[in-house]
Amino acid sequence: MSHDNSSPDFLQHHFHDVDQQYETAKLGMWAFILTEVLTFGGLFVAYVVYRSWYPEMFVGANLLLDVNKGLLNTIVLITSSLTMVLAVWAIQQKKQKLSLFMLIATFLFAFMFLGIKYLEYSHKFEVGQLPGEYYSYMGPEIAHLNNPHIFFSIYFIMTGLHGLHVAIGMGLIAWLIYATAKGNLHSKYYTPMEMIGIFWHLVDLIWIYLFPLFYLI
Amino acid sequence: MAENQKQNYLTHPKGIMSWLLTLDHKRIGLMYLFGGIIFFFLGGVLALGMRLELAAPGNDFMSNETYNNVYTLHGAIMIFLFIIPAIPGALGNMLLPLMLGAKDVAFPRLNLASFYIYTLGALFVVYTIIAGGVDTGWTFYTPYSTTSTSNVIPMTMGIFIIGFSSILTGLNFIATIHKMRIPGLTWYKLPLFVWALYGTSLVQITATPVIAITMVLLILERLLGIGIFDPALGGDPVLYQHFFWFYSHPAVYIMILPAFGIISEIIPVHSRKKIWGYKFIAFSTLSIAFIGFLVWGHHMFTSGQSVFSQIVFSFITYFVGIPTGVKIFSWILTMYKGQVSFTPPMLYALSFLFLFTIGGLTGIFLGAVALDIHLHDTYFVVAHFHYVMQGGTIIAFLGGLHHWWPKTMGAMYNQTVASICCLGVFLGFNGTFFPQFLLGLRGMPRRYATYDPQYAELHNYSSFWSGILGLSIFIAIMNLLWSLRKSNKLDPGTNPWGAMTLEWTHTSSPPHPHNFEEEPVLEHGPYDYDKVIVEPTFKK
Amino acid sequence: MSEHHITPLKTYLVIAGALFCLTAITVWVSYFDFGSLNIIIAMGVATFKATLVALFFMHLLWDDKKNLTMFIMSLMFLGIFITITLLDTGFRGGVNPEVEYPINKRAAFYDSLPLTDTHGNPVDEHGTDSHEGDEDHH
Ligand code: HEM
Ligand SMILES: [Cu+2]
Repeated sequence: MSHDNSSPDFLQHHFHDVDQQYETAKLGMWAFILTEVLTFGGLFVAYVVYRSWYPEMFVGANLLLDVNKGLLNTIVLITSSLTMVLAVWAIQQKKQKLSLFMLIATFLFAFMFLGIKYLEYSHKFEVGQLPGEYYSYMGPEIAHLNNPHIFFSIYFIMTGLHGLHVAIGMGLIAWLIYATAKGNLHSKYYTPMEMIGIFWHLVDLIWIYLFPLFYLI
Repeated sequence: MAENQKQNYLTHPKGIMSWLLTLDHKRIGLMYLFGGIIFFFLGGVLALGMRLELAAPGNDFMSNETYNNVYTLHGAIMIFLFIIPAIPGALGNMLLPLMLGAKDVAFPRLNLASFYIYTLGALFVVYTIIAGGVDTGWTFYTPYSTTSTSNVIPMTMGIFIIGFSSILTGLNFIATIHKMRIPGLTWYKLPLFVWALYGTSLVQITATPVIAITMVLLILERLLGIGIFDPALGGDPVLYQHFFWFYSHPAVYIMILPAFGIISEIIPVHSRKKIWGYKFIAFSTLSIAFIGFLVWGHHMFTSGQSVFSQIVFSFITYFVGIPTGVKIFSWILTMYKGQVSFTPPMLYALSFLFLFTIGGLTGIFLGAVALDIHLHDTYFVVAHFHYVMQGGTIIAFLGGLHHWWPKTMGAMYNQTVASICCLGVFLGFNGTFFPQFLLGLRGMPRRYATYDPQYAELHNYSSFWSGILGLSIFIAIMNLLWSLRKSNKLDPGTNPWGAMTLEWTHTSSPPHPHNFEEEPVLEHGPYDYDKVIVEPTFKK
Repeated sequence: MSEHHITPLKTYLVIAGALFCLTAITVWVSYFDFGSLNIIIAMGVATFKATLVALFFMHLLWDDKKNLTMFIMSLMFLGIFITITLLDTGFRGGVNPEVEYPINKRAAFYDSLPLTDTHGNPVDEHGTDSHEGDEDHH
């Protein structure tokens, strides 16, 4: 059952060749992306249903969110997506150092995203714009509208789940930084980087929807 | 077949750690089988407890509160810990790579992880039982589940976790089926069991994420009062039902599609005839998987959903019947003019055909809004879903176990005992559940520990036969286990049914640790009984 | 693995630039009120951005089409979930109009919440006018 000597050490025993291994990983990753889309999808359904029931409240509660911070986070996340894709590009070109640099940049942008999110959340906690029964904000803009706590429930759950993905992404990217620095990933074998990249772009892609849904409309 | 067959996956490598940390899909399959059977037993004991209580009117055996806990745990354990993982997890894991000629599934480590995630989820369920149970019913409908003081959170956490195991198995199988086939094994040369697993896996990865998020929302509803499902907080409990059934109706196809796959394997082999309508069966699998996503509202006809959606759901529900019917007719035509031998697997397959047809047809009855308003939450529904889930899935699972037992364990059980047990299961099953159709039609509601004396006779009858049913299944499984004794080993070249899929023709029984000594070369299709003759071989 | 498609650097930079521009556009547009078109415009732009990310950053444009199918499938099932759920939630009360929106009442806990200023601190009842009775219109 042993392989011939030419087969590289990153090839697992049950695959014929490197290409099969790579394609399989990628298909698996996309199946995983499908599950992610549907996980968030359930929350999108809740959003759509409640928006259709409470249109004015949604528009009103919308205005309580800080567009500037949301915009800043959008820019940060798009930039991090770019640096991630450049990390993969660099390692394909055998530019190990550049790739490492890009990964670190991605990590830092992710950190920044969570930092800004933290500022937003802490403000909401201060003024009582909280999910569910913990909601207590009755400012003049919103006091006449119906059940804004539901908006904030959906807001916190969706952005919270998204933030959790950012945090998980940071963990994965940290591992990539380690593996790239050690030379385990190189131009012949960078599958993990590409897969984690896809995950990271998904995080970006979901935020692309969350931003207008909560901050703009 | 090569001479040196000393090694097989059961005995090589040795040691408990080599099992617990194994990446071998066959061993992982066996571990799933082990876990599944334990919970099948537990769920079965709970079921018999309920039947004991229901044997006569009045609370003679348990209180109403206990009864509520027992039916909830019975349903949740049977569905989430046994039926959903059993066929894909045990038989699917065991057979899929063998049928594809592959050395393993695409992601062996993920496969092991998914088993341990299942174990972790199961621990939560066990904890729930120890902590005093949960009384909401396996559907966890709000608002009761947000106010009940029983252990809703550990139970739903368990289901949330098991969901990930299911997702990972599905994902793994999809990648395996696409990428791990040997050269020449094109889609239309795949055994139909593989098609069935493919359909199942698609449903698993698309539907299961939704139950995960539903359970999260339910837990948050309890912890934070988020208000999405709670009418007291401006939310909508019917939305919870949409979320739940968006998963759980497709989930009934996660349960039945692999059973269809097993039947599609058993029938041609034991009729020694090419399967009739291969492509019909293959594509009906995919269309059932798809249509299954459009009909969830038929569980909600009395929930207060809009009349418009009731009509739409009712209408689409009928369409499920078409591909299902196509399969039934294909199997019957496969047997027509074949050399049918009444081996234990075949007896199970025949029972399946009979019972599943009744279950499916009564499903169509329930799909009609006007009728369902009367039958909803009565024993008619209970009978319907037991005919499809036990009469369908579990019987197919038992049939599959008997069919592949010599292959995977290298031992043959006592076939006479097995056949008698199958008969016992068949009679016990009908005796238990057919009266429940009548009870339901007469208005007996489900989920009650007591009832009016007018229902006593049918309930009593049902309870009596449930004992026969339980005993038969128990003996059938003991019979399988008893065959594993040392003196009962088969010759590694055994192919007792003369089957011609790769797992029978190209590897030993039990299979080599790496599945095949060398990569198999495809010589014929999976059901080419008209072209090639594979003699049954059976040696001690 | 050297034969894999390698996208020129320029493509990535152009796409990122486009994403930034589209973000700017959608924020800018949100300051005007187009009525019900607001949602459509915002979602249109978001979908366009998402498509760019999926096709270029996630390489779906060059990948095996199975992966693209997988992605489109996820959107299709999400579409099914949303549409069919709306068939219920958008059409309740077709037969008995009086039961149409019984649940969309204000949650009881609001009755005990004091009015607040924009910092969330309770204020005097007389200072601000309250519209307790108003409800959403459907
Ligand atoms: C021919 C296809 C089928 C149709 C048309 C059908 C239809 C239905 C309908 C309309 C109900 C709702 C009854 C009610 O609650 O009032 C129902 C319940 C149920 N069905 Fe089926 N069904 C079919 C096949 C299956 C299969 C294959 C399974 C599982 C393997 C299954 C499992 C269930 C379960 C578990 C319930 C009850 C859930 C509960 O309320 O606890 N059905 N079915
Ligand atoms: Cu159903």
